[in-house]
Amino acid sequence: MKVKHLEIPLNKRLTSLSSWLADKHQRLGLITSIDGSQLITLVLDPQQGSAQLWESPLSGDEYPSLTPLIPQCHWYERAVWDLFGLYPNGHPRLKQLLLHEVYDPHFHPLRTIARLPEIVSATQRKYEFLKVEGEGVYEVPVGPIHAGIIEPGHFRLSCLGEEILNLEIRLGYLHRGIEKQLSKIPWQKARFLAEAASSDTAAANALAHAQAMESLVQIQAPPKAQYLRSLSLELERIAMHIADLGGMAVDIGYLGMASTLARLRGSALRLADLLTGTRFQRGFILPGGVHKDPDKQLSTIRHETHKLKVSLEPVITLFVENSSAQERMETIGRVSPSLARDFGLVGIAGRASGIAYDTRQHFPQGIFPTHAPPVAVETKGDVSARIKVRITELFNSLALIETLLEEIPAGSVLSCVPDKLPANSIGVGIVEAFRGELIHLVFTGADKAISRYAIKDPSFNNWTGLSIAVRGNLLADFPICNKSFSLSYSGHDL
Amino acid sequence: MFKLLSYLISQGTATAQGFCPPLDDDCLGLPTLTSTSCMGTDCSACANICPTKAIQVLCQAEGSSVTLDRGACIGCSLCIETCPTGTIVKDLSTQTATTKRQDLVLSTTKLRDERPILSNQDRQYIFHKSLAVRVVSTGCSACDLEIGASGNPIFDMERFGVQIVASPRAADALLVTGPVGKGMQEALKRCWEAMSEPRLVIAVGTCSISGGVHKEGYADTNGLEPTLPVDVYIPGCPPHPWSIIYGIALAMKNTKL
Repeated sequence: MKVKHLEIPLNKRLTSLSSWLADKHQRLGLITSIDGSQLITLVLDPQQGSAQLWESPLSGDEYPSLTPLIPQCHWYERAVWDLFGLYPNGHPRLKQLLLHEVYDPHFHPLRTIARLPEIVSATQRKYEFLKVEGEGVYEVPVGPIHAGIIEPGHFRLSCLGEEILNLEIRLGYLHRGIEKQLSKIPWQKARFLAEAASSDTAAANALAHAQAMESLVQIQAPPKAQYLRSLSLELERIAMHIADLGGMAVDIGYLGMASTLARLRGSALRLADLLTGTRFQRGFILPGGVHKDPDKQLSTIRHETHKLKVSLEPVITLFVENSSAQERMETIGRVSPSLARDFGLVGIAGRASGIAYDTRQHFPQGIFPTHAPPVAVETKGDVSARIKVRITELFNSLALIETLLEEIPAGSVLSCVPDKLPANSIGVGIVEAFRGELIHLVFTGADKAISRYAIKDPSFNNWTGLSIAVRGNLLADFPICNKSFSLSYSGHDL
Repeated sequence: MFKLLSYLISQGTATAQGFCPPLDDDCLGLPTLTSTSCMGTDCSACANICPTKAIQVLCQAEGSSVTLDRGACIGCSLCIETCPTGTIVKDLSTQTATTKRQDLVLSTTKLRDERPILSNQDRQYIFHKSLAVRVVSTGCSACDLEIGASGNPIFDMERFGVQIVASPRAADALLVTGPVGKGMQEALKRCWEAMSEPRLVIAVGTCSISGGVHKEGYADTNGLEPTLPVDVYIPGCPPHPWSIIYGIALAMKNTKL
């Protein structure tokens, strides 16, 4: 998709963004910089399906923080501080986000312009958790290494008795420098690294990468490839939604359900395997189309998808009709619609709190202008609402796959992709990953190479949602709250 | 509860029979080399297309000119498709783990040893041993999900005596996924130090073996080996659950335990 490129002076950023967000349908996409000499703000209008990119030139290393008035800027400003050394003046809780103490305080990996000598101020990398004080308040530190088989991150829970008063989430353990690498390696090979931003979302990351690159070189994938890409995206959603439902069954001790869902996730992965050759669909979607034509497998996929749907139905009924399971999930981990909006929650977390936003509907690409499934919305914002949204989406995706397989056209699956990228251009890809809105934003320089590659994973928005959700809940309910958001550590840390 | 029980009984057994069978034909697997000679540096198509520099074409001479590091390979299969002479072909085996790093590096003069490292007797041995495993993730979560899948009703690695434990204190082996960037090195080292000896370290996935797609970044994402000594290497991006089970079984044969 194309974005409108505007220059907004630094002193107009606050009023511009405030009035943009005053329309409750409009959104903040991401905030970053290209080389440290400007701030980039991507804003989205889901109603119109359009986007604007605001560039605000900087004359120094400081800028006024927007966080005090627009709270959803808080992590973006921390990330920009880490990666570019730009100081958000007035940020209420400024601390590092991605680069831990182990990095040199003067190291800002994405900054390519020289630092002005007079304002060489060591970035404080020392991390201090928010202290909650009072009689009987104690802290429970969890991680970075967790008890289960999941990615690393640190949770600092301040509790009074069994009740959680505050949760501070510290991430960055998985920081791998992906954005920098993506601007260093040849762009034709970048897709494998772009997928690895978070490999449980490999298909969506590959699709966002492909869309961003295609909008740069102005080509389109052939119709058959569009269908195959959507198949791939929806299969990933199905597999991961089943995995997440299974994870929640584990967290409430409903183990027979968990093992059944693990088995059925295996069936979904087998479908992905048939379509793409790997269970995680690595390397299938690429700029210009898809990597191979799985024509011979399509009838098997159709048959097996139907079988999966038939097998899932009674299992999901058992899950939702089990009253003790419901009791563990209703009213737990609530995020109010107003807080969900203030913090820009996306995907399932947003839709469970009444935000009817699904990029398949609002920024439709490929086959979605005609085939986007209805947006699954709930209003209660609790664990149970997030489960309901997941289940609705799961069956919507299964139905969509059956439709796609009926209609899939014949033809080639790969368009010709130019060798050279255009100079000084912007490419953007917005995809509804199974977790929500995923953005890949690419800038090319005068040398026709990628000068900056930015990724905004849905988890970047939603981690704050988890902190909000667990407040006032029991410590024992933390795992189920966490799982109901199903967040990516690697997608956040990059 | 009765509803769930009767449903579970009605579904029969899901567990796959056999031990680490090859993948289905439509899967990509990993590449392997054959003795078919190729055009060497006159072609170099495989080395040029490889996204992780896992292939080197050394000279023009007939045969003996290609090396393939399966510890750096992400299994994208581009080299197989691009090779005009059939020197690089698909390998669907799930028995891909090795105990030596250099065994993952194949060359046209040193082809992959197809003989199973674990014989039937070893399998008996596995069934009678147990291994407590602690998993530490430093990567993108695909390997973690496949380790999780190794314990699901289909692959069920507990029947081979492998138990995932929640504390390093209770673990015999440390399973590490991901490229071990700067942010995780200290935590990982401390986890390893908390394990009692003898202890094993298993590198799961290409990132933990060599850094994979993340190699050479500023975050020191070059794999597990600079941080900890590795006993077993399981290649793949991510490895199939059978490959993971095979690698753990290989670790259980280790004489250190």
